[in-house]
Amino acid sequence: MIVTLSQTTTSAISSKIENLHKERGEVALGRVLTMLICTTSDNLESTLETANEASREHPCRVIAIVDAERNKHEDPRLDAQVRFGADAGAGEIIILKPYGNLTRHLDTLVIPLLVPDAPVVAWWPTRVPEDPSKDALGAMARNRITDALRAPNPEAAFTALRAHWSSQDVDMSWTRLTRWRALAAALLDQPPHLAVVSARVTGQSHYLPVDLLAAWLAVRLEVPVTLDQKTSEHAITGIYLTREDSSVVSIERHNDEDQAMITQAGAQAQAIAMPMRTLEECLSEELRRLDPDEIYAEVINRGWGMIDHD
Amino acid sequence: MGNSSSGQSSTPDSETKTSAAAVKASTGTTSDSSHALVTPGADASSQSGAQSDEHWSNPLRDPSDLRLPRIAGPCSLVIFGVTGDLSKKKLLPAIYDLANRGLLPAGFGLIGFGRRDWSDEQFGNFVKENMQAHCRTPFKETTWSHLAKGLRFVQGNFDDEQAFTNLSKTVSELDRDRGTMGNHAFYMSVPPKAFPEVSRQLAKSGLSHSTKGAWRRVIIEKPFGHDLKSAKELDRVISSVFDPESVFRIDHYLGKETVQNILALRFANMMFEPVWNANYVSHVQITMAEDIGIGGRAGYYDGIGAARDVIQNHLLQLMALTAMEEPVSFSAADLTAEKTKVLSAIRVPKDLEHYTARGQYADGWQGSEKVVGYLNEKGIDKTSTTETYAALRLDVDTRRWAGVPFYLRTGKRLGKRVTEIALEFKRAPHLPFETTATRELGANAIVIRIQPDEGVTLRFGAKVPGTAMEVRDVSMDFSYGRSFTESSPEAYERLILDVLLGDPPLFPTTEEVNLSWNILDPVEEYWSTLGQPQPYASGTWGPAQSDEMLERDGNHWRLP
Repeated sequence: MIVTLSQTTTSAISSKIENLHKERGEVALGRVLTMLICTTSDNLESTLETANEASREHPCRVIAIVDAERNKHEDPRLDAQVRFGADAGAGEIIILKPYGNLTRHLDTLVIPLLVPDAPVVAWWPTRVPEDPSKDALGAMARNRITDALRAPNPEAAFTALRAHWSSQDVDMSWTRLTRWRALAAALLDQPPHLAVVSARVTGQSHYLPVDLLAAWLAVRLEVPVTLDQKTSEHAITGIYLTREDSSVVSIERHNDEDQAMITQAGAQAQAIAMPMRTLEECLSEELRRLDPDEIYAEVINRGWGMIDHD
Repeated sequence: MGNSSSGQSSTPDSETKTSAAAVKASTGTTSDSSHALVTPGADASSQSGAQSDEHWSNPLRDPSDLRLPRIAGPCSLVIFGVTGDLSKKKLLPAIYDLANRGLLPAGFGLIGFGRRDWSDEQFGNFVKENMQAHCRTPFKETTWSHLAKGLRFVQGNFDDEQAFTNLSKTVSELDRDRGTMGNHAFYMSVPPKAFPEVSRQLAKSGLSHSTKGAWRRVIIEKPFGHDLKSAKELDRVISSVFDPESVFRIDHYLGKETVQNILALRFANMMFEPVWNANYVSHVQITMAEDIGIGGRAGYYDGIGAARDVIQNHLLQLMALTAMEEPVSFSAADLTAEKTKVLSAIRVPKDLEHYTARGQYADGWQGSEKVVGYLNEKGIDKTSTTETYAALRLDVDTRRWAGVPFYLRTGKRLGKRVTEIALEFKRAPHLPFETTATRELGANAIVIRIQPDEGVTLRFGAKVPGTAMEVRDVSMDFSYGRSFTESSPEAYERLILDVLLGDPPLFPTTEEVNLSWNILDPVEEYWSTLGQPQPYASGTWGPAQSDEMLERDGNHWRLP
């Protein structure tokens, strides 16, 4: 169900939502958080689809602010849309299109619409703000999720993010790594329990997760980690750990296959299912924990400098 | 040491480094000293290897890294009774879901043991069919094809020695071809009668013994015996074959998730614990009701009955979790300590005639469906005295619960399927209203719903809108499904993963099992002197006897 409200006010939107809840016999109390999304109209539908999927695990109210940047010189006005039921995952979606001066104080625009007494999460699916914690919406969020990889210039965006990092910020480049990190950790759980003396990570050139993976290994293992990046590769393609007896254990995934190969000295290579992570999975993972990620902090602040980047 | 050496540059980072170095150094010393004690050679090196194993801490793991899931190490699972209902509907789908979530190791092996004359391929089809039909996560061919490579089937009976030799061979093949490294879990999805036989065969074929550095684990489901004596005997048989840490007793109704939910509700909050005692609580009702009959389980159920089937394990565990004191930590040992304490403080009523009740379902209508009574079920003796409904009052002799009755009830063919724990509170000592105003006000209650729709309900009085002062009961409701995930993992997924990871915390221990039988044995003994249980119409809430039992104390069963 989609209700369009043009030239409207936030109080009109609030009462519309309240009425719809009443009519449909729903309660809004089950919402565990508000997710603020800053996006553009071209990306809106795909972004909302992702948010809807994630809301099945974390019922939330989604507030999408669309085209604020593009419309800031227009006459002030607010267009909105409210989506319910089948069009809104396990929550409701409010789409706000502010124009003119309204774009200059997005914080007070959304305050009346937040879920009471629940955390606020801000997500920038494509455009990355220079300093998320100083952004009008970012400042009121408890968690700020950026996605430098999908920004027009990922490396510049990530450099800015690192410079302005605060403990509530996480970039999805990090979330994309979790499966790799889990497999690497599981590998070292197994005997022989020998110290790792060096590590190598291979993957696509200018692909942030590769750098982050290497930085994580460098921080955790305290050993030299080399990066091997090629433009011909796609995403992360391998982790190679050399142990003190100079045997190598590796995890490799090539050509976007749905599986990874695990190779250890003296054992047959084993395949394990490892499909590429979807954006929905990454967003769900982010929403699962809202406390600051200390490991990420260490990786971008200390680990990043331990690696020779491209 | 950290203070003197790092001095003013004592950042958190440098501290971590020093402590890591300290750990490494101490590891070095222990293995060195073991070298000194043992004569050099192959033995000595393996000894020091084992020593350093104990000190191995995986540098890639960090307790604050909450994103990393734990993936089971190389291993295989052998299922006895693989063609049974439990295996088809729960175990196989749970294994698929675990694989799909990436929590099973590469090269995971799954061996089915059964009577049918199947090839590995036929077994594969059977497994695929059932995984596809009941899995929770989307069915993907890639996940399946990885799992399929590790599937094996061993044909045989439990008394067939050759079959176990074949099983032993298959297991070593998996070790060789799939790298399962000698780690194997045995799931006994078979009637308890078969446990001793299977255990003996496993011991004989050498399968129950693990080689160095590898593990063997056995998973058994309730019932753990049918009284204290048989429970001890069963334990003796199994522990003569497997060491106690390798035996996992599973109670799937009481998944880890549920237990942890109860613990979180009670001990993570400020507002419940202060009223969780005899000062405020008038009594506690613990219910597990099923709307189904015995189905095809006549052979198992007759002679066992509702109390042994459900009260001994599920309800007493729920009661222990409700009544226990706060554990000092949530580690397995501390939790068990508190549960054991409270189980040992439970007192069975002296007046068994008035404070226990049993019933047997009669013909009737289960909702919209006509159903037959217990005595007319297929395979049931017309004179069977087995109860399908059991209720009893228990007391807990502790300061916290003195004088608070705990009423436990369970039954088949009751009004609906529901499991819940309800704490009913005392009435307020003084009500500053006209008596007419509070005529409709019942007792306050906290209800922990376990299934379906897991959650918590608070019931309290509120004023009815209007000019007259009138207070009526209302409910405040919390549901896990609404506030959190819609797709929470199945209990079996967690159970199986815990076993494969060797993480036993919340499974009941032998001692808890024995204490539970201690409570139930006198009741069963008394019941065995009685004749036919009181009949109750299918689809109702049990025999009149049970209602009378509560009325005697001035209480009433809730209508869940």
